[in-house]
Amino acid sequence: MRALTVLYDQDCGLCRRAHSWLAEQAKLIELQFVPCASEQARQRYPQLNHDLTKKDLTVIGDDGAVYFGPKAWLMVLWALTQYRDWAYRLATPELLPTTKKVVSVISQNRYQIGKAAGLTR
Amino acid sequence: MTIGIWTYLIYLAISISLTIWVARTLHKNGRVFLVDVFHGNDALADSVNHLLVVGFYLINFGYVSMALKLGYVVNNAQEGIEALSVKVGMVLIVLGAMHFFNLYIFSRMRRRKAVNSNLPPIGPDAFTKVQEA
Repeated sequence: MRALTVLYDQDCGLCRRAHSWLAEQAKLIELQFVPCASEQARQRYPQLNHDLTKKDLTVIGDDGAVYFGPKAWLMVLWALTQYRDWAYRLATPELLPTTKKVVSVISQNRYQIGKAAGLTR
Repeated sequence: MTIGIWTYLIYLAISISLTIWVARTLHKNGRVFLVDVFHGNDALADSVNHLLVVGFYLINFGYVSMALKLGYVVNNAQEGIEALSVKVGMVLIVLGAMHFFNLYIFSRMRRRKAVNSNLPPIGPDAFTKVQEA
């Protein structure tokens, strides 16, 4: 795998903040950012359920592998030079259930978190 | 010289030579590990190896000298040998703990290198067609 496409929610402040943070990080794998359910996304992935990508973060590898929700977060971590070992750690059977729970809570409340943190729309 | 002084001298001789022996073993056998960790960068491996051994010497000699004082009078040879065995035993345990700690650091360094593999941490949910622009 050489590149990952990140389908992110452009309407959420937290996601945009995460996007700019990710842009600065050293990467082992190229990350391409495409707003979810956008024209560009639909053209690139004609068979993908784009309504679902609005619900949670989706990451797609250059081989077409789709990672949804917590798995997508792990894949993004895995792409970063500094955090690859963390991706493996969080994906171990002991930690994976907790990772999934925490990530889901953040994802479901991303608008409220963004607002509370003062990241305006 | 009193038996107490002899006990101290023998204690110092044994613990110093043990420390040197363990440090040399670490220095000799740890090098292969470090060369592997640093992707065959011999100069860096030798440098880190040397620094580790210096730390090892400092901590052990520090312990040996702190633990020298007996705190009671040794009256005969039997008491001297008993005191000696307790003191040397403590030094051995500290050396052993330090040795395993060093091994732990080496294996951690190696694992850190191994973790940099190209396998994703998790399997995908599905596959989709990619339409190249």
